[in-house]
Order: sequence, then C-alpha cells, then structure tokens
Amino acid sequence: MKDLLINLDRRIIFIFIAVGVILPALTTFPLPIKPTANVRAVYDTIEDVAAKNGTVLISFDYGPGSMPEIQPMTLAVLRHCFRRNVKVVGMCLWPTAVGLVQQALETTSREFDATYGEDYVFLGFKTGATSLVINMGRDFHATFPQDIQGNNTADMAVTRSINGLKDFDYVICLCAGNTPDGVWIPYGQERYKFKFGIGCTAVMAPDQFPYLQSGQMNGLIGGLAGAAEYEKLIETPGTATEGMRPQSVVHLIIIIFILLGNTIYFLYERKKGGVR
Amino acid sequence: MNRDKLFFIAFLATFSLINIYLLATGSLAVNAEGIGTIIAAGVTLSLYSFLYKDNPLFKFAENLYVGVAAAYTLNQVWYTVILADVLNPTFNLNDQTGGSNEWLLVFPVMLGMFMLTQLASDKINWLSRIAFAFVVGLGAGLAIPRTIAANILAQMQPSMQPITPDLAGFNLVVILLGVVTVLIYFFYSVEHTGAVGVASKIGIWFLMISFGASFGYTIMARLSLLIGRVGFLLENWLTLQLPLF
Repeated sequence: MKDLLINLDRRIIFIFIAVGVILPALTTFPLPIKPTANVRAVYDTIEDVAAKNGTVLISFDYGPGSMPEIQPMTLAVLRHCFRRNVKVVGMCLWPTAVGLVQQALETTSREFDATYGEDYVFLGFKTGATSLVINMGRDFHATFPQDIQGNNTADMAVTRSINGLKDFDYVICLCAGNTPDGVWIPYGQERYKFKFGIGCTAVMAPDQFPYLQSGQMNGLIGGLAGAAEYEKLIETPGTATEGMRPQSVVHLIIIIFILLGNTIYFLYERKKGGVR
Repeated sequence: MNRDKLFFIAFLATFSLINIYLLATGSLAVNAEGIGTIIAAGVTLSLYSFLYKDNPLFKFAENLYVGVAAAYTLNQVWYTVILADVLNPTFNLNDQTGGSNEWLLVFPVMLGMFMLTQLASDKINWLSRIAFAFVVGLGAGLAIPRTIAANILAQMQPSMQPITPDLAGFNLVVILLGVVTVLIYFFYSVEHTGAVGVASKIGIWFLMISFGASFGYTIMARLSLLIGRVGFLLENWLTLQLPLF
C-alpha cells in the first residue's frame, strides 16, 4: 500500500478528475454562488452606463482554447448590456475571437431584439494592438472607418458620436492573454483615462490584482467562477453556473491528493532526503 | 498485437458505434452541424488521449488545430486588414470609404514586404533589417514611457498612501512589507545575513504565497477548460440535458 501510494500512476489521478467532472455535471446539488466585490464592480458600472443611456466598448481577446472560461462571460455581459439598453461596440485584438463573438452577438441580440447598428456594432479584428489602441484614442473613425460588415462607422447610430476612446462610458476587455496589462492599460487607459474593467482567465487573474489596487481598472471577472458570479448577478444561469458543481468537486479531489502527497512525503520520503 | 494497438482499435470502434447510434436515433442531425459536432468530439477525445500516452491520434489532432488556426487567422487578416486597410483604400476598390487613392499606404506595405525578404535569398534579405529597425525603434519609443507610467509609477502610487488605523491601513502595511522584502530578496549585492537575511526570508514567504495563489488559479483555469470540453461532449455530442443549479 505504501509503495502504491508513493509511486501512484498519474493516470489514476486523471481518472479521479474525470469522474469528479462528469458525475457532478450529471447530478444537481445546491452550492451558493456569492458575487464578489470585483465582479459586482463591473456589473454596477454597466448599470451606471445604462442610467445615462451610454455606450460600452468590449474588446474580445480570446480564442477557442479559452472559450469555456471567457465565452460565458461574453454571453453574460452582452445579456446585461442588451437587457439594460446599453449600446455595445465590439472589437477583437485576437483574430480567433471573431467567430465566437459573432455567435455570441447573434444569440444575445436575438434574445433581446437588439438591432445591429442601432444597439450594437461589431468591428471585427485588426492587427497592431498597441498602435491600434493609441489610434482609437485619437481618432476612432479613422482607425475603424468600417465595421466587419463594411458599414461606415460614421453613419451608424452606435458609433456616430464616438470620436475617441474617451467617448466610451466604459471599456471592458474580455481576454485570455496579456491585452489588459500589455495593451489596454499602458496605451489606452493610462493615456486617455477612461473607465476600464476586465474579464479574464483564472490563470491571468493574480497578475491583474495590482491594477485593481492602483485603480487602473475598476472591476475584474476572474475565470469560470467570476463568470458564474456575473450570471448570478444578471439572474440568468448558464454554462458557468453549470460548471461550478464539477469545479468544486474536483477542487476538493485535488486538495485531498495534495494533502495525501504531502503526508506520504513527510512520513516516508523526507527521511531519504527527497522525493524520487 | 500489443495493448496500445488494442486500445486504439477499441477507441475507434466505440467512437464509431456511438456516432452511428446518435445519427440513427436522430440525436445528431445528418447535416453540417451534426457532422461538425462529431468531428469536434473526435478531435477533443483525440487530444485528451495524450493523458494515456502520446499517440498518432493526438499528433493528428494537434497538427490539425495548428493548421486550422493558421488558416483562420490568415482569413481574418486578409479581409479585415489587407483588403479593408490596404487594397481597398489604395486602389479605391470600395466606394463606401469615400477616400481617394491613398498611395501613402505603399510605404508601410513596403516595410511589411521587406520583413518577408527574411525568407528569401541572401542577396535581398538585408532589406528585412530596415523593417526590423523601424519596428524596434517604434516599439521601444512607444513602450518605454508607457510601461514606466503604467506599470511602475502608477503601481507605486497606491503603495505610498498614508497608513490609517483601519483594515485599509493594515492592507497597505502588508503590501509595503511584501514589496520591500521581495525587493531585498532579489538584491544580490549584499550578503543575505543578519537583518537582510531575515527580510529576505520574509520575502521568500511572500513569493511562495504568491506562487501558491497563482497555482490555485491555474488549476481553476485548466479545470474550467476540462469542464467546458466535458460539457460539450455530454450536452452537444451525447445530447444529454445537464441540470443547472
């Protein structure tokens, strides 16, 4: 038994993880989801934007690899905006996000009868992240003369009065890479001083907290848990809420394995001077 | 026939049988969407087969992903950048922009073309240096002041607030202690003994706690991806109805 535990095949742990994901996904048991202050800050800012009938710019910077985490956020934030008649301008710094965003816009705009050009606009992808953001701050129409469908941005109701990034009431970056701290904050927020919030993968979240503390961003939706909290706030449960059950169970399994591994290490292996 | 080959054949047979059943019962439609779901499920399972062992199915799925992502990116760049920002305005192909022939665009395009000469013969690949020099010069000029302003000065500001006798003040002390001790840990010009050694050890603890937080978040992220794929396999492929809370 001792040898079995010391030399546990990693594939056994994989089986535990697989079972821990599949079984809770198929069953139901109550787990509380309490929105944290950082997620609520994004929600409250959109509510404020709604109160003044404003416009939000959402930069979708992710791809299929991070879709399970970010797509629920995209859907939840878009649902919130459309429900509260907040105008949405979407754009992508990652080309792989375009198809996913079009799908999300199609789904959510249909749910709330949002009209393209009047309630929302999608600009698509453009290269040159840093210079693109700088130019958007200086002259929005020159940077994006047309949307993804070839309509002139100067003619559409949503973008007609937008001259630069400062004209947006809120800028949100839903991302899986370094676009908030590498692009949006240094080249956009610091320069043009707009209100900025992000939704990011859980891997990225710890690196973003210093920007929250410094006030360079006012809210953060972190990972699938953050997306579930946002779904809770808009009272529309979706795939993130669905994912909280398996996530909680697997976290428990991992904690047990970590405790087990450390116990075995301290009982048997430490005397030998290290693990094999 | 070894065990791995048997696993491989059993996997293909099971996957085929499940799909035949799903198509025959109408759970999956025999159209582009249904076939797309089957392909996506197959690719997902092929990629996860790596957890057992490296195998040809995993290699195939991995290369397929790289190829598809590259082609998709090229497609997006062609329509939204090359066509919309270069060809249309330069040759006045799209009346909607209302612009004249913007021949000035030739210069950035030329710089871009110079970059590609890196792939050509030694006779002309020196041209790429002009483009790289431009990119490095512009990049440094843009990045240095912006990075200092956003990532150093703006970050220092909240650490230098007055310490108040409340929770915010306590947080500030913890942050200050963390910043100072971690900086001492990375200061190698002085031997880490005595007071410096104690501060350096406290710095290690701060670093360890930060690594632990990052590790925890990383686990959460990777599990979310697994949950997403399992959700797809159960809901979209096997057409099971997953319960919400």
